[in-house]
Amino acid sequence: MNKKYSIIFGAIVTTVLVTSCVSRGNNPGWEYAPDMYYSKGYEPYSQGDSNVINPYGMNMREPVAGTVALGKLDYKYPFENNGEGYEMAGTMLKMPEGVTLEDGRAQYMYGIYCTPCHGQEGNNDGEVFKKVSTLKPAWKGYSDAYIQTLPEGKIYHTLTYGKNNMGSHASVLKPTDRWKIVKYVKYLSNKGGVSAAPVAQDSAKTN
Amino acid sequence: MSSNSIKTWLLSAAIACSITLHAQSKPNAEEGKKLYEANNCGSCHALDKKVVGPALRGVQTRRSNEWLVKWIRNNEQFRKVDKDPDAIALYNDFGGAAMNIFTNLTPEQVLNIVEYIKTAPEPKKDVPANTNKTDEPADNSSTIYILLLLVLVFSSVLLVLSKVKNTLKRVEAEKNGESEDSNKSKKGFFEKILPGDLGKRNPIVLTLFTIAIVGGFLAYVGFKFSITEVGVQKGYAPKQPIAYSHKLHAGDLKIDCKYCHSTVEESKQASIPSLNTCMNCHKGVQLTDKYNGEISPEIKKIYAALDYNPEAKPGEEYGKNPKPIKWVRIHNLPDHAYFNHSQHVKVGKLQCQSCHGPIEKMEVVQQYSTLQMGWCIDCHRNANVDVENNNYYKALHEKVKADKSGKYLTADGKIRVTPAMNGGLECSKCHY
Repeated sequence: MNKKYSIIFGAIVTTVLVTSCVSRGNNPGWEYAPDMYYSKGYEPYSQGDSNVINPYGMNMREPVAGTVALGKLDYKYPFENNGEGYEMAGTMLKMPEGVTLEDGRAQYMYGIYCTPCHGQEGNNDGEVFKKVSTLKPAWKGYSDAYIQTLPEGKIYHTLTYGKNNMGSHASVLKPTDRWKIVKYVKYLSNKGGVSAAPVAQDSAKTN
Repeated sequence: MSSNSIKTWLLSAAIACSITLHAQSKPNAEEGKKLYEANNCGSCHALDKKVVGPALRGVQTRRSNEWLVKWIRNNEQFRKVDKDPDAIALYNDFGGAAMNIFTNLTPEQVLNIVEYIKTAPEPKKDVPANTNKTDEPADNSSTIYILLLLVLVFSSVLLVLSKVKNTLKRVEAEKNGESEDSNKSKKGFFEKILPGDLGKRNPIVLTLFTIAIVGGFLAYVGFKFSITEVGVQKGYAPKQPIAYSHKLHAGDLKIDCKYCHSTVEESKQASIPSLNTCMNCHKGVQLTDKYNGEISPEIKKIYAALDYNPEAKPGEEYGKNPKPIKWVRIHNLPDHAYFNHSQHVKVGKLQCQSCHGPIEKMEVVQQYSTLQMGWCIDCHRNANVDVENNNYYKALHEKVKADKSGKYLTADGKIRVTPAMNGGLECSKCHY
């Protein structure tokens, strides 16, 4: 009889031991030498002891106010985030020389950052707009006359600060990429083609 | 200027005329609803709360119909040419975010929209808010431990009881003067537990033999366990401070991984997005219809972290005390191993899923690969480097083409280069 119970005991103890060192759910499991897993040096996303010096225990810090990182001069943007700045960007901001669509970068970046809402062709038929239609802007798509006549500077301003429901994409798009996307939006807008027909219908209806 | 003012006078006269003309045909809320949706008014306005523009309910009590027609059709002209003080004040109140121009709407259509706003049903508020039912079952691990504890307690009770029972039996047997016990005790330990004659063999050899078999088995299991489980966090799926669903965002909405992890092509780290990336959509997406008019509790956490108040005056929504979200890190490479995302994603053109697994199907992200060195090496030995169509490998391609030994060729004469052939197994590539 005793033997039976000792086997049961053994099984229970082993199960406890084994489950406590297998990583599942919230449990990261056992480690040989935690010292080697969690960097003592500061790394951007290391998660061990909190950094005692920086705010919120983070390793990353924001750049000092008024400084410009090396090679990031074009991140400085002169216009303010208000209606006046928007108008000024429209009249004063011009696309720099040499922005080209040929390397495919513009289309690639557009595919990542714009298609979730505005769709592959700029018809406002991305998955997000399909699911949450209240986010849609008043214009139907890039082939709308509104976008066709919108100054390039205003599009750049919108990418930088956001407008209405659209948020700022300045932290994810480099200025050079922003210009490429502006160029690509204009390309889609003036291409006509796919979305030209529905717009024509719309204007016929309202007139 | 005079021609301008004449024009506006004519326009307003025309509008006034058309309003009086159409006054006989009553504004139609049905039509208005259709127009409201067709023109995406909802992208900037909601009936009961401020979005980009003001809340619309009760607008007919705040403004006259004529004012609304002018403002909605062409607010820019209304502000700049007519210089209506209310219009200018409204524009300034909303931080100079100008409303779009809707000259495509006739004054009659505008009034239909106003009628729709007037008659739209109030949201139901009387339903008790039961938003807390989304709470997940209590922490799983603790229940398991409680259960195990109970099992332990009960089994020890059983053990004690059986001991008592045995003792009672023995006492009874002694009383009866039975000699079974003395017979039993003469048998050796092995004779008792082994069948047949096996127990009568040399006990030392048998003991060593048993130890070798059992010990060997345990050692194998222990070794296997320690190399596949200890220090290997495959399957680790911690609860995050915000229940962000990759299945919804990356799977259903097809948002590219790089939209949020935007530095993956530029840097060693695939960045955890800062909260302004969330706000690109969640400024507008609050899922109020799912939570009885309340903002979704998970989205509220974003707002709380940003110190963002969606009801505040335009331009003052963001408070002064934002706090970072403390996400729980899942994939953790030891300090002594170097890994660079950009090299694998940008140059190697690997898909995120080849290491992270079907993220777009994971409600809660878990570590999919072991991240052990053997796992790295396997891929470096077997993966194919596309040297022909990759500018980064131009020099390597030249070298491969000039090579006469045939080590870069497969049996059927095609170029095959693995990371290992390009130094992908050198220790100091990753450990330095």
